Amino acid sequence: MFNRPKHTYSFHDLAAPVVACVVACVFASIAARAAKPTAIVLLAALLSIVPHSSFARDHLYGAIDNESLLQCETVNWAGQLLEAAACYSGLHNGEQTPQIRAEAFWAQGDLQSANTQFQDAINRFPEDPMVRVRWGELFIDSYQYSEAYTLFGEALEIDPENSWAHIGAASALSEGGDPEALNQHLNKVMEEGLAPHGAKLRAMMMVIRSLLRQDRYQEAEGSLEEAFEFAEDESLATMELKALRASYEFMTRGDYQSWIDASLKESPGYGDAWFIPGYHATIIRRYEEAGDFFKEAVTLQPDHWEAHIYLGQNYLRLNDINDAIRHVNISYDGNAFNPMTVNLLRLLDTFTEDFVSITYPDPPEGPLPALVVKLHKDERDVLKNYTRKLSEDSIDVYTERYRFEPKEPIIVEIYPNHEDFVVRSIGMPGVGILGVTFGYLFAMDSPTGHPDQRYHWGTTLWHEMAHVFTLKATGNLVPRWFSEGISVYEEWRTGPIPGRKIPTDVLQAMAEGKFLPIAVLDDGFMRPDYQGQVIVSYMQAGLIFDFIDLEYGFDKIVDMLYLFNEDITPVEAIEQVLGISDSEFDRHFKQFIDIEYGPLLSGLSVWMEDMSAGYEALQAEQWQEAAAAAERAVFTYPDYVENDSAYIVMARAYQKLDKKEEEFQALQTFWQKGGYLPAALLSLADYYLERKINTEAEAVLVDISYADPFIEDLHVKLGDLYMDTQRPAKALEEFEVLLALDPLDKASANYRIANAYKALDNDDKTMEYLMTALDIAPQFRPAQQLLLEMSRTSN
Amino acid sequence: MTNSTTNKVMTKVMNKLQLVLLLSSTILLMPSANAALYVTIVQGLGGLPEYDDKFTDQAQKIYQASLTLADASHVTSMAGDDAARRPLLIHFQNLAEAMNEDDRAAIYLVGHGSYDGEQYKFNIPGPDITAADLAEILESFPGQNHFLVNTSSTSGAILEALESDQRVIITATRNGNEKNATEFGNYFADALASDIADINKNNNVSIQEAFDFAERSVAEFFESSGRLATEHPQIRGEGAASFSLARVEPLETSDENPLINALLSRSIELNAEIESLQLRRNEFSNVEYIQSLQALILESAEISEQIDSLREGTQANVQ
Repeated sequence: MFNRPKHTYSFHDLAAPVVACVVACVFASIAARAAKPTAIVLLAALLSIVPHSSFARDHLYGAIDNESLLQCETVNWAGQLLEAAACYSGLHNGEQTPQIRAEAFWAQGDLQSANTQFQDAINRFPEDPMVRVRWGELFIDSYQYSEAYTLFGEALEIDPENSWAHIGAASALSEGGDPEALNQHLNKVMEEGLAPHGAKLRAMMMVIRSLLRQDRYQEAEGSLEEAFEFAEDESLATMELKALRASYEFMTRGDYQSWIDASLKESPGYGDAWFIPGYHATIIRRYEEAGDFFKEAVTLQPDHWEAHIYLGQNYLRLNDINDAIRHVNISYDGNAFNPMTVNLLRLLDTFTEDFVSITYPDPPEGPLPALVVKLHKDERDVLKNYTRKLSEDSIDVYTERYRFEPKEPIIVEIYPNHEDFVVRSIGMPGVGILGVTFGYLFAMDSPTGHPDQRYHWGTTLWHEMAHVFTLKATGNLVPRWFSEGISVYEEWRTGPIPGRKIPTDVLQAMAEGKFLPIAVLDDGFMRPDYQGQVIVSYMQAGLIFDFIDLEYGFDKIVDMLYLFNEDITPVEAIEQVLGISDSEFDRHFKQFIDIEYGPLLSGLSVWMEDMSAGYEALQAEQWQEAAAAAERAVFTYPDYVENDSAYIVMARAYQKLDKKEEEFQALQTFWQKGGYLPAALLSLADYYLERKINTEAEAVLVDISYADPFIEDLHVKLGDLYMDTQRPAKALEEFEVLLALDPLDKASANYRIANAYKALDNDDKTMEYLMTALDIAPQFRPAQQLLLEMSRTSN
Repeated sequence: MTNSTTNKVMTKVMNKLQLVLLLSSTILLMPSANAALYVTIVQGLGGLPEYDDKFTDQAQKIYQASLTLADASHVTSMAGDDAARRPLLIHFQNLAEAMNEDDRAAIYLVGHGSYDGEQYKFNIPGPDITAADLAEILESFPGQNHFLVNTSSTSGAILEALESDQRVIITATRNGNEKNATEFGNYFADALASDIADINKNNNVSIQEAFDFAERSVAEFFESSGRLATEHPQIRGEGAASFSLARVEPLETSDENPLINALLSRSIELNAEIESLQLRRNEFSNVEYIQSLQALILESAEISEQIDSLREGTQANVQ
């Protein structure tokens, strides 16, 4: 939905970048938040907010035919900037219409004056749709897409066939609006025989951009050729088209430089000749090359603020914080209205003030540490040990399995604020992702970013770490589905809670035969046809590697991975390594799915009915009926251990029926199959502790720490268990986490630490924590007794 | 431990702490022997059966908890028509007349509130009680350091009218704009009987401890349910940490064994000395403070141990 512009159009909002951000955020929020139990994570840039086509004020492409203005434009695009400035200044006088004056101010970067002139123009020429169209374009340049869209709509009310208004509306919608409406506007231009040639060329370029973003290179190539032919026939400017061609060449490993050169030959000061390929390099995760492109863009055109912000963001991805700050600041100084700039600036403030880096090993064994963990200072003491353990374990596992030794420190960033994490990853908030890997660096949500207990941060870390290896082992050339598939497969095989976890909607899609042929599996990630297809594609990709492992052996997966260094397609990789065609592979994979899930899929509706019956009975406090329905659901699908699992229904019902053994069995099976609901696992741990089954109790408690380490009771139980089993050093770690959680009962936490130190024969530390406990609670009897003991021992 | 050992410890402590012990021989912050705690629990209208049940449960918990510290004749719980405006005003008028300068009043308002932007009202049968009424009631009590907790929605609207250094005021909400039914009252009532809320483990739950427990529980409630917090409890005034509302376990202050009685008496003195030391910690270096504290707690621990031994019927290692 778009807000209608105020009657008096104002750039008042421009004075408040926050508001500009809010407008953009509305567009950005279209991506549904996918807080799925399984770690659904995305490689960087694939959900990127599309930057508007280029730097401020595009070529007119014939939208205005004022002779004086066009003279200035010609000089400007020829790179004669001083002459162009003088020429535009000459248009400020009263001889020109307000619209032309607006164009001149706009071309010189004075958006406020341009806005004033457009306001004047609309008062004087209320029936001229082009005034509204151009004003709308100005709003696009100031990131106010909603306002812009309204203006294009008003132009279309005056002239429904106005192609410039249609292309403008499509541009505004390309920032995250309704894709169907976008296509309608584009088609109006493409199919309108009398559409101005310039508008048509802009429409063609929008299509090309879209094709490049979706990796549809063959179609992009055809569209590029068509567009070049069209532009040549109609004598239209082609520097932007050449930059797009350079992007295509780069993405398909062709000769991109000659197209950049050609673009610059046509317009020597055209920073977009570099920026546009740079943007497309980020799409395919070639961040180092993207950085080089952006650097060239800002060198050629220092006032290319968008290139500065993209360069800054790219430096962030490469862990060069100082350069990131420098370019984000330059961008902000030049254009404080870009919401991405404002968001990144805020993020960098948070990042530099609130985050701490911890390096492992400390000191490093070589010139660099192996691992750098960046945590919010408030969460450091809670997360650092678990993050280190998970990271080091996963690095060891992947190094061996994928025959790849990391060449640089691996950097793990964990964000308590989900929106900070998203801004860090793609520049704009409002997107439902959990983790993003850029190369040797990945960022992810902290468990505190997801208080609903459905988020398993340990699995997300494990998933992202797999991306580090698949990306770096292939120079970032691994296809999207392949990298995601391996990450999901590793979650299931080697992750902290092993076992396949398939959400119900994916089962439903499986039952409906919605899995894609392997040759086009990337489409499921890049251009989903239905809601939830991305998740379905994740699961399918994971299952594919499970299948390859079981059928052909794990080594084949690694062999296929390394083939991507040799510029081959996944289909070719399958043919070379597995010796079968992609269609044969699809057939075998379907057989595998039929065997693994056939019985379940045929009974899926029954299972769903039993699940519903179980929950309804729980709601109605009919415990016996709830347990019976849940038992039936478990019989049909024993491996379903999401947080709404039938095991949870059973456990709850049996608890109410006071059937402790049955409750225990339900919880135990839930956990053994990979269930991770912290509240359920805490109950299970209590059962184990009561029964003195310490090994299992410990394993359950450790598992909880990878789901939600912010539960105080977890660390009390685990620490006490370590103390009971004579492992005070490990107990101390848990009690220190407990204290870091700022518990209400600080006296007990300090007393526990004192006890652990005592067991470690560290009297000084024992007394330090003991006296802290007693200072808080002087009458705390156990602490008093320890003090007596210490006193008598010293005497 | 032998008496001689105890004496040695005590001598050592005395040498280090002569000044501290001399000062702390005056028991600070202890209400005078004649001081009494008067508790009034006002249960407002629930409106719906679920709220009626909830408020009744809270009021009963507060009542039971108050009996652990206050004389039963000083604990009044009012609900239904008994909690209408007129009987309430009469009750508080009588209370003001019955109390002396050393006494303390604790008022619990359990129910719904409303705020129209100007006036706060606590919902009771008939005409409501306003913030101005509450201020007048508190002003009418002799002495100072009285306490009022209002667990209702919009209760934060009373803060401006009631807050003063001379009393402790707690509200469930930050202001009058937080209009949703609150969770705070549940947790505050729970705190009064919770050993977890007894942060300093002195067997008493103070206003501050109950507030800390309830405030944290409210935050956890909203966080774990994934909901935006619609209430933000507030506390105003001085002395919340030293104002006990309930006792967690019954206190044994006397015994047939005169030796135990003497030890209990010394234990109470020591607790007061520790409290005094803690209040004056800025007067010492950290090392001095810890040493002093350690010595006092050591003695307290030894006494507790001796009491336990004597109560178990086994002769302590007394020579």
